[in-house]
Amino acid sequence: MTDAPAALTVVVADDDEDIRSLIVIAVRKANLTLLADLPDGTAALAAVREHKPDIVLLDVSMPGLTGLEVTSAIRADAELADSIVFILSAAVDDTAVAAGFAAGANAYMTKPFSPNTLAAQLTALIASTAAGPNPALPTPPAP
Amino acid sequence: MNPFSSLLRRYVFVDQPSPIVKQLPTALAFVGAVIIAALVPDLGFTAPLPAIAGVGGMVLATVLAGTFTASERLTRLALIIPFIDLFAIGLFRMGTGGNTSLFGGLVLLPVLWIANQPERRNILFAGIGTSLALTLPFTLGGMVPQSSADWLRFVITPVIFSIAAAIINEMSRQASRRVDSIHELAEERDVMLRGAVDYAERLSENEDRLRAADRLTRSVLDAVTEQSVIGSDVTGLIDVWNPGAEKMLGLRALQVQGRRFVHEFHVEEELLAWSRELNYPPGETVLNPGFSALVESARLGTAEVRQWTYVRADGSTLTVELAVTRRVDDRGDTVGYIFVATDVTQALEVSRLKDEFVGLISHELRTPLSSILGYLELMRDDDVNPLSDEQLQYLSVAERNAHRLLRLVGDLLFTAQVGSSTFTLDTSVLEIAPIIRASVESAGPTAANAGVELTVTVPSKPISVLGDAQRLGQACDNLISNAIKFTPRGGKVNVTVAIVDSRVVITFRDTGMGIPEDELDQLFARFFRASTATRAAVPGVGLGLSITKAIVVAHHGELDVESEVGVGTSFILRLPINAPVAV
Repeated sequence: MTDAPAALTVVVADDDEDIRSLIVIAVRKANLTLLADLPDGTAALAAVREHKPDIVLLDVSMPGLTGLEVTSAIRADAELADSIVFILSAAVDDTAVAAGFAAGANAYMTKPFSPNTLAAQLTALIASTAAGPNPALPTPPAP
Repeated sequence: MNPFSSLLRRYVFVDQPSPIVKQLPTALAFVGAVIIAALVPDLGFTAPLPAIAGVGGMVLATVLAGTFTASERLTRLALIIPFIDLFAIGLFRMGTGGNTSLFGGLVLLPVLWIANQPERRNILFAGIGTSLALTLPFTLGGMVPQSSADWLRFVITPVIFSIAAAIINEMSRQASRRVDSIHELAEERDVMLRGAVDYAERLSENEDRLRAADRLTRSVLDAVTEQSVIGSDVTGLIDVWNPGAEKMLGLRALQVQGRRFVHEFHVEEELLAWSRELNYPPGETVLNPGFSALVESARLGTAEVRQWTYVRADGSTLTVELAVTRRVDDRGDTVGYIFVATDVTQALEVSRLKDEFVGLISHELRTPLSSILGYLELMRDDDVNPLSDEQLQYLSVAERNAHRLLRLVGDLLFTAQVGSSTFTLDTSVLEIAPIIRASVESAGPTAANAGVELTVTVPSKPISVLGDAQRLGQACDNLISNAIKFTPRGGKVNVTVAIVDSRVVITFRDTGMGIPEDELDQLFARFFRASTATRAAVPGVGLGLSITKAIVVAHHGELDVESEVGVGTSFILRLPINAPVAV
């Protein structure tokens, strides 16, 4: 008999409480373990450094550090090298998407998003994580 | 020529003396002879009648000379006067001693007149006239030559006179030729003088025109106070500096003209970066690579407007849109450049604020929409507490309107991107037919609900274009959606695809309410709504067509419209087949 694999851990950060709750629901639908959901970038980075989650779901426009700054800080930290950064943003133009990937994000999803689609994306992340670290997911088209 | 000169020329002009002037010496000499004959005792009148007749002849000749002088028409007959003179002198000789008369020498004066005429035949006439005058005492007076000396006198004297006449005639001819030459030269001089006067007048007029043009140019340059206009030679040395440049860069014309170079007012790094991009220096002005790069397009005759940073006298900077054009001379050679700059600092700030605003709107609207749509989806998918059919219907209405709001936000964002030229295409070679079919298919339920028959006709042969599938789909969606919205129940919307002149032509034809002709020009303007749409309360904000047009233009295509109120509207979209697309 083998032990079931431990669920991947997630830290969520979005300054909009309703959106954050929606993300949390999607995280649960994907059977991930939520370590923290936070309303600002500074707290999010502290939580990431503390918990070293497998996946970090970040909004871009947040008080304190922006999602891009948090992403850059994660990428600059060797201990967090395996963390997958998933950006969820209302900025839909190509420049914003490119900036997200340039900061080191693995995936970028635009708002509004479907919680079911986000859950499916996270499930796909779990599957791809088994294949190798730090996968880069295709970006879903802007609605 | 003044009247006095004309009179002088007519009566006494030396090269063409009048008959009276020619007659005057003969008449005076004759009068002298008459006086001498009357006063000198040894002489006297041997035959008074011929002497009186001679005096009469001389009077007649003098009167005729005066008459011929007064009448230009008769002047050509003046040559008969010296012959009358000769005849009169012959008679006078008859009356004053005949062959021994002292006054034979008078003959010389009319002979000179005759010989002075240009034709050579006058030499003969002079000889004949002399003979006539000398032989008159014998031919009319009944005298007989007394000696061989008389005979010799009849022959030798005319011959000598004829020789003298020949010499005088020749001299006269030469003098006449010289006079003619002088006349020709004088005429040429007059012509040249008139030409010089005309030229001077034209020069003066041109000078006036140039001064006026210069004043106009200066007044135009001076009137331009919000744009800097700087002129330079080919090395960049400034020679034109208008009030706009003074205002923009903080220096007066006297401080820069002939002293400063254009590139001194630019950020050197900017110029050098551009010159590196152009692989300079390949041009004619290599004094400063930055300047050469600055005028590169103008030098090649290509109009170009670029953004540059100007440096003011106090070291502060401003962003300008700079148009550089070439100055040429009469032969078309480059003699300098003109730099017209517009301060766009404020415009850029406005644009930045607009982008910020659009970004804010986008974020602030999309975030609550995320919540609305996300939670609606969760409600619909709640397996634990499933909704009733009625509740699901209400949910659909909420979702439909949330999506409508989302589309509006998308349209606003896209319009702002088009306005700020940040709109991009993700191009690839693609088939147009599936895109059109997909648009028609997705609009099918809407058309069915509206009671509009939606059909599509696409050729079986594949048609490839180079473009952005998503944006082209958006354009087709907009046009089909519009056609359905503006077509009353029972109407038809037909989409056809054809190839015309190497272009794919997609026609969206409806039998809707149509658009008034005077509104067609504004149809593609942002936020414009046709009066028919407003009257019929068709929902919309007037962005769809402007977005569609922007997409089509970015694909090097065209979008035209034909419409008739009450009959219908056709939008004709033309795209190049598999042609490059501006991104």
